[in-house]
Amino acid sequence: MERSIAAVLGAVTALSLTLAGCGSGDDASGGDGTATLTLAGWSLATTPEFKVLADGFHAANPGVSVELKEYDPKNYDTQMIADLAAGKAPDLYVQKTLKNFYTYQNGKQLLDVSDVASGLGRGANGLSSYQVDGKTFAIPYRQDSWVVYYNRALFDRARVKYPDGSWTWDDYAAAGKRLTEGLKASGSPALGIYQHVWQSTLQGFALAQTPGADLASGDFGFLKPYYTRAVGLQQAGAQVGLGDATTNNLTYQAQFGKQRAAMMTMGTWYIATLLGQQRSGDADKFEWGIAPAPQRDKSTTGASATPVTFADPTGMGINPKIKKARIDTAKKFLAYVGSADAAKALAGIGITPANTDAAAGTIFAIPGVPTDDVSRFAFTRHDTKPENPVGKYTAPLQNILNDLHTAVLSGTEDIDTAIAEAQDRAKNEVLNK
Amino acid sequence: MTTHPAPPAPPVQTPSGRRRNSRIGRVLGYLATAVASVAVLLPFYWMVVSSLKTDNEVFTLPVRWLPSAAQWHHYADIWTRSDLTTWLGNTVLLSVAVTVLQVLTGSFAAYGFSKIRFPGRDALFLTYVATLAVPWQSYMIPQFVLLSKMHLSDTLWSIIAIQAFGALGVFLMRQFYESIPDELVDAARIDGMSEYGIYRRIMLPLSTPALASLALLTLVNTWNDFLGPLLYLRSSNLWTIQLGLRTFISQYSAEYALIMTGSVLSVLPIVVIFLLGQRYFVEGVATTGLKG
Amino acid sequence: MTAPGSAPARRRVGRNTLLGWSFLLPNFLGFAVLTMAPVALLFYYAFTTWDIFGGAEWSGLDNARQMIHDSTFWNAVRNTLYYTVFHIPLTLVVSLGLAVLLNKRLRAVAFFRTVAFFPYIASIVAVAQVWNMLFSPGYGPVDALLRAVGVDHPPGWTTSADWSMPAVILVGTWREMGYFMLIFLAGLQTVPAQLYEAARVDGANAWQRLWAVTLPGLRPTTFFVIVMLTINSFKVLDLILVMTNGGPGQSTLVLAQYVYRKGFEENQFGYASAVSVVLFLLCLLVTMAQFAVNRRREA
Repeated sequence: MERSIAAVLGAVTALSLTLAGCGSGDDASGGDGTATLTLAGWSLATTPEFKVLADGFHAANPGVSVELKEYDPKNYDTQMIADLAAGKAPDLYVQKTLKNFYTYQNGKQLLDVSDVASGLGRGANGLSSYQVDGKTFAIPYRQDSWVVYYNRALFDRARVKYPDGSWTWDDYAAAGKRLTEGLKASGSPALGIYQHVWQSTLQGFALAQTPGADLASGDFGFLKPYYTRAVGLQQAGAQVGLGDATTNNLTYQAQFGKQRAAMMTMGTWYIATLLGQQRSGDADKFEWGIAPAPQRDKSTTGASATPVTFADPTGMGINPKIKKARIDTAKKFLAYVGSADAAKALAGIGITPANTDAAAGTIFAIPGVPTDDVSRFAFTRHDTKPENPVGKYTAPLQNILNDLHTAVLSGTEDIDTAIAEAQDRAKNEVLNK
Repeated sequence: MTTHPAPPAPPVQTPSGRRRNSRIGRVLGYLATAVASVAVLLPFYWMVVSSLKTDNEVFTLPVRWLPSAAQWHHYADIWTRSDLTTWLGNTVLLSVAVTVLQVLTGSFAAYGFSKIRFPGRDALFLTYVATLAVPWQSYMIPQFVLLSKMHLSDTLWSIIAIQAFGALGVFLMRQFYESIPDELVDAARIDGMSEYGIYRRIMLPLSTPALASLALLTLVNTWNDFLGPLLYLRSSNLWTIQLGLRTFISQYSAEYALIMTGSVLSVLPIVVIFLLGQRYFVEGVATTGLKG
Repeated sequence: MTAPGSAPARRRVGRNTLLGWSFLLPNFLGFAVLTMAPVALLFYYAFTTWDIFGGAEWSGLDNARQMIHDSTFWNAVRNTLYYTVFHIPLTLVVSLGLAVLLNKRLRAVAFFRTVAFFPYIASIVAVAQVWNMLFSPGYGPVDALLRAVGVDHPPGWTTSADWSMPAVILVGTWREMGYFMLIFLAGLQTVPAQLYEAARVDGANAWQRLWAVTLPGLRPTTFFVIVMLTINSFKVLDLILVMTNGGPGQSTLVLAQYVYRKGFEENQFGYASAVSVVLFLLCLLVTMAQFAVNRRREA
């Protein structure tokens, strides 16, 4: 017995040495002259934006380096909430989705950075999403927006005209059906449309485009036309049903990139992905373009109007537990993040920065990016509303509406019943609490 | 498939009468076994096949059961494309440490709960079982804050701490000890053996199958745990296989085949360990004195 | 020698207490600090409003009151019971049946005994993925098979609100049966062979021997398995997260997922704690009932 205990103790000691060796070395920040800021990011290997920002800032301020801490992209907020609660989060962290901004801001986990915001000048989209009671709590550095991606080869094959910015959703649905028929007639298995499984594919547009639509009102009638159309497209076989997309784990990258659908709505982040995948061979090589998102009615279509679309900005804020001495440096970094210089650097890697005007030239110079007028128009002209309006009730309401989304598109409930049920739940479980 | 150790006497013998009946039974048994084996193995077959497909063959409608051309290079690529070696190393280290601690402290405590009577014992045992009923997600934040205060988060110690002292081991071992007759223990006491001696010389050898199944269970749980490492381990040199694989998935979300390759490689070590160890829980007892 | 009769007894109790604790201590130290303390905190949080940042504010029975009017909560309770009521007997019967059938030394049996455990050791993500494909309506092999045997309108499984829970239950059983089968197999080894001999001498047939010898001999094992199944069923989460994420609609939303949703997606940790206390009490109630029944049988 004694010998085995000794053996165990020996093993434990050996283990502890190994473990201690692997432990994190936290207090690496030097004292004099050089400073180190820590910044949270995710998927660092495939999401170069954090490194671009860190390197760009370091180049302009050689005395300061920005160290990246990697988080899990799918569970970013869970990890960040835990780290903030335990007081060990990095100096700066990204608001990955606007949905959780309320939690961080209301929980006093963001420093007031109004002074940085006021120094940014014009051109910074999405700033208003991070303002509460006149104060700014995060600086947006990227602002995507949803557009239509279309495959020129498949459109030609089905003899359907490319989208020209004049489409309403009814035009989009009609084109989808014609594409499906035309492709079938030509012997192609591709469908007209791919609609990804996310609730935002319908709800984001409905909320942004319907005048007076408001999540917190608890009235969800504005969703009905969008769902009726989508259910019709599923039944007509012009797009894969939600059930099949879910059970087979379809990805939008493969559906569009491998030419299984002629068009789809998606955010501008996909431009960089598609370019990369076409280069690496993960996507087929074909001619594609982007067009403005279809509109609710004709009033916002055409070259003279500004199409309404949606997407959340991505912003960065400061952890209030940051060491006092580093606050000014952190604010300097935020000012850089919102600047035109940073915007150009981000555009260089295919990202849509918050400062779109400064970036358009850079984006369209990237080889492979479609440069036709409609694509340029779609990229630069839009009125982008937030997908998740900041508010106490946004997160629970989005959960209720996601249940509606899966219930309706799986054919479990018709849209009227589902809306009535969601309104009931919103009232009882969230709004009248 | 597996090695057959020296066969102890079969536990149940079929009477030699009713030959035909037993033959029909045997055929039915084989048939049922065959069907069940297919049902059990199908998903694994799919995993392996998927790892040999090209990315775009993996998820197609309808399902494809064979790759058009086997892409063996995935099994070479994955080592350079990911830190699989680091992840496997950490996972092995953790699994072994947690399993050793869990089995030792669990069986030790179980002996106290099962064979020594003292006031408050049953209430305490019920507390142990009760905590099993609380989902970890609901107290993981207080636990995380606690371990962070102890400066253990972002070290492998944190995972050992949260996994090694679970109530499950105590519960499983105690249930097993309950099935060992008290007379055996009393006889040893009369012979003048100390309680520690009884634990070590009688209970431990008797409980090989239970120890083996607890060890395997702990090993599997630690190996497959995702949420624990997700919450506690930030530095990428500390990642476990599940955490690494999940990050890998979100980075290369379209590279299904490579993801499946990773999945196959993550399951493989456990399968091997299981194949090596399985005879202990099923047949370990046969060699002990119980059947006297 | 003439000391009061209770003194040696008391001394023995004291000695036993000391001895008993010496066995418990290594495990108990870790358990008390790392599990018991956080769980105790949970009971406090259940009566507070707490968004995780800052302090929890005492709000008495507010959470309980909110729960009563929360139809999603009741849906989750219903779904959890649905899962539990079907998953436990199904898994119990399948794993016990397999164990009894496979307690033989046949080569095919040895093979199956080995592979039956595979589902339990594979990571749930890959496994759920495959099952979703197998269940896929229209394309999946499961429905193709059903159609082949004459079912005109095979169920939509995970894409239909009526069939998503049965699909999850089936996969749950598929995953756990191998593990519990092994536990039963280990238990079977502890049933003394003489008892079978004696029963055979008495002329009992295989069925009677099962009821008279095997099942009573397996009682501690069965009890363990039932308790484990109960706890696993009430806490079921990972399987549902990856297979259906609670959908379609709310058809597979269970309590553990609701706890996760309220806590980590909506940051109402006070309310989430209250829901997990309910989950805990439900589970405890059932487990205590099982303990009580078990004790009465043993007596």
